[in-house]
Order: sequence, then structure tokens, then C-alpha cells
Amino acid sequence: MNRAVSVARMQLINKWTFLGIPALIIAGSFALTYAIWLILPSDADTRVSGAAQSVVWYFLALGIQSLTYTFPFSQAMSVSRRTFFIGTTGLFAVVALGISLLYFVLGRVELATNGWGQNGQLYFLGWAAESPAAVQILFNFLVMLALYMTGFWFATVYKRWRATGMLVAWSIIAVVLVGLIALAGWQGWWPQVGAWFAAQTPLSVSGWTALLCAALAVGSYLTLRRATP
Amino acid sequence: MDALTLPPVIELTGVTKRYKDTKAVDGVTLRIDGGKIYGLLGRNGAGKTTLMSILTAQDPETSGTVRVFGQHPYENDAVLSRMCFIRESQKYPGDFTPAQAFKSASLFFANWDQDFADRLVEEFALPLKRRIKKLSRGQLSAVGVVIGLAARAELTFFDEPYLGLDAFARQIFYDRLVEDYSRHPRTIILSSHLIDEVANLLEHVLLIDQGRIILDDDAENIRGSAVTVTGEETNVAAFTAGRTVLHRERLGSLASVTMEARLGSADRARAADLGLELSPVSLQQFVVRKTTAAAGRAGVEPRTVTEPSELEVAP
Repeated sequence: MNRAVSVARMQLINKWTFLGIPALIIAGSFALTYAIWLILPSDADTRVSGAAQSVVWYFLALGIQSLTYTFPFSQAMSVSRRTFFIGTTGLFAVVALGISLLYFVLGRVELATNGWGQNGQLYFLGWAAESPAAVQILFNFLVMLALYMTGFWFATVYKRWRATGMLVAWSIIAVVLVGLIALAGWQGWWPQVGAWFAAQTPLSVSGWTALLCAALAVGSYLTLRRATP
Repeated sequence: MDALTLPPVIELTGVTKRYKDTKAVDGVTLRIDGGKIYGLLGRNGAGKTTLMSILTAQDPETSGTVRVFGQHPYENDAVLSRMCFIRESQKYPGDFTPAQAFKSASLFFANWDQDFADRLVEEFALPLKRRIKKLSRGQLSAVGVVIGLAARAELTFFDEPYLGLDAFARQIFYDRLVEDYSRHPRTIILSSHLIDEVANLLEHVLLIDQGRIILDDDAENIRGSAVTVTGEETNVAAFTAGRTVLHRERLGSLASVTMEARLGSADRARAADLGLELSPVSLQQFVVRKTTAAAGRAGVEPRTVTEPSELEVAP
């Protein structure tokens, strides 16, 4: 366990990539959005911005980088693959949780300040407003974690099987998606599919995302078990 | 604990590593008791790096039994934490500086000596704040050498550590290695093909060829276990008859034959009578001849039939 903590500390030795850039994205997306609000004339409606998502998407890159950059080096540091996995994914889960909490607090500030005085909506999850605070935090956290694990999983597949692995993985994903769409069309399931999506709540979406995270985590770990530096 | 009750540092039984249709390591059985500087010698592609990758579980074996400190190293942090293996082609996190790599090593190697690392950095004139990907090949090698030495792991591997290092830097490495080893005895396995340069450091030699260990002996035993006989061809033939010949050269009526033998005073007297000149064989020559001879024998009979015992040096 100690060594897993050391892995997390190793990932943080270069603070710029894994903490500096996310912080810069958060600050930059806020500054830009605020500037746009100032420039554009305000009308009565709430002005919703998706800019806060940008750091969420950066977790995809974090997933890729934290594996490709550091896994071969961790092998030279005599760290087992399991310890590397626990330390690395554990660290970024904590970072994702930190950002989720920050977004929640910023969302509350947003409400209290009439959208930063500009009637804007950047951090507050309007569609999840009815849900308990914990669900709002959990939703952001799980989306970041899912993107992180997606990047991490693709990076492990590439590490182990290189271009062939990528080709096979994307082919399977494409075939499955096209197959599902064709099946739904053929069976006339679209109304039911639409109804199913409409029936989802923030909590159930979080649940599905958690399931995806778990599948990606297990997949990454099993792939990494046999990866070579 | 008594040293006698400890398991050997390394114990391999019938270890094979297969990549598609080639065997990079082929049925290696080996026991290393430790506490020495071992030379892992062999040609490029002989299986040196693969063998070290197996021992450190960076690239586990296909079959066979691997024991390091009495346990299998794969996914075994207790065993791994006692080892250090910086690959010749070691990758570092993209934007790491040497200082950050050393900081990292200090987190994982319990015996890490920062003062020693600092001294080595100074001696190798390593720029601490430059990104590793911008370093020259020699500076890159120096980063690995500093980690390998300052980590003071109980079992340390050096994989061709001198690539790109100039003669001065290589000498610094050899000197510091021997100095630090004598102060902090441990097991060091040095893979190299600059055999003459490291010959004096080595206490034990492991020679690997085509994935097989063809020589496993103390350096002391190897020195003087072979001799080159030069002189008139018929006399040389008479003198070397019945011996294990490693290499033969002919120039006109002169012949030069390298053979495995420990010559007694009677042999030397006979050689003098025949007008033959006896010259010692350097470790490098011995290793080259031995490897070539093994390859020649493998050509005659299928490799699977070759008994390792017949390739071993007589004690």
C-alpha cells in the first residue's frame, strides 16, 4: 500500500502535467466564458455555458498520459503492475473528486451571485437541480472517472498490442454499435429506446457511468497485467 | 538469519522465453548465489536483456521456474523492491528532468543515497534541470547509471550501461561501481559486450548465446583455462591433439590454435621442446572463441540435442 502511495507521489512529481494544466483549463474556461458574457448583451434568459466541461474532457488525456508516460518508468522503479494501477487510478480518482467538489461549490456560488452577476450558468447542473447534492457531486465525479478510465484503457491496449490492438478495439466497438443500431431499427425498438433514455434520472445515469467505470477498470487492469514496458 | 539458510539470490530452472517463432531465452537453468559482480556477456540479441527482463518480471517467462530471493518476482512487490533494473532503452515520463527521475527513485528504493547520487551527477556533468528527452545518448545512459548505483538495491542490473558514454565517463562508472560495491556489498549483474573493459571488475562470468548459458564460471577459473598455441603447423597439431579446440588460424606453415586447457609444467616444457609459443587468452578472446565454437557445434547437431554440460569449462 505504501508503494501505491509512492506511485501517486511519483505521478505528482511533475505537477504541471497532472495538476497545473487542469487548473489552467478551469481558470481559463471561466475567464473566457465570463469575458463572453460581458461582451454579449444580456437578455432575460439564463445564459448557459458548457465551458466547464473542458477540464472534464481533459481527463481523457490524463488517462492516456498517466499510463504511457509513467508505466515503463514505474517498471524501472521496481513497482508491480498492480501497485502502479492502484496508485495511478487512485490518484486521479481523488483529483476527479476534488474537481467535482469544487464544481459543486462553484455551482452554489453561481446561484447565490445570480450567475456571477451575469445571469450565467456554468457550474450549476440545471437538469440535476432536483437531485440531492451528493448525486450532483457523484455525477461529475463519475463522468470524469469514466473519461479517465477510457483514456487509460485505450493506452493499455495500445501498450500491449500496439496498432493492432487499436484497430481490433475500434473495429469491435464499431461493429457492436452498428449492430445495436441495426437491431433496434429492425425490431422497431426506437420508441422504447427513446422512452428508456427519457426515464433516466441523474442517479441512474450515475449508476450506468459507475458500471462503465468498473468495466473499464477491470479491463485496464487485466490488460496491464501482461503489458511489457 | 544465517547466510547458509537463505535461498540463492537467483534460481532458474528450464526457463524459456518465446516470441512468436524465436526463443530469446532457451531452457536456461542457472543458480546465482549472489554477493559478487557478475558479468552477463554475449552478442547482441543473445538474450541478455530478455533474461534480465524475466528476472525483474518486466517481461515474464513463457515457461520454466523463476525464483528471485526464493520467490517468483512477477507482481511481487516484496521481491521487486529489492531489485533495480534500468533498461538500456529505458523510457522516462515525457517531461521529466533527471532531478525528477532521481526524486522518483528516492521514493521507491529503500537504500537510496542522495549524496552519492549528487556526487555522481557532478562527475558525469549531468544537467539536472534539462528535460530527459533533450539529453544526449550519453547523458541518458548516465541517468540510468546514477539510479542504478545510488539505489543500492540488493540485486542491481546494469544493461549495457555505457552506451554513448565516453571513455572518461565509463571509467568513472567502473571506479564508482567497484568502490561502492566494496563498501556496500550486494549482487550486481552487468550486461556488456565491451568485455575487455569490464573484465577486471567481474568476479563471475555468465556467457549467453542464442538464449542459452554456455559458460557459468568464476572469472578466476576462466583466466588461464584457455591458451593460444602458436608455431609450426604439425607441431601445433601434435600438441593440441585430443584437446578442446576453440579456434584455429593458419598462416602458411604457421598455425595458431586456441584451446581449453590448464597447462602444467610438463606441458610447458613439451611446448618449449616443440618450439611452440604459448600466450594467454584475454576474457574477450575467450568469450568470442567460445561463442563461435558453440555456434559451430550447434551447426553440426540440432540445438536441442546439444548438452549444456559438454560446453562447460572443465573445473
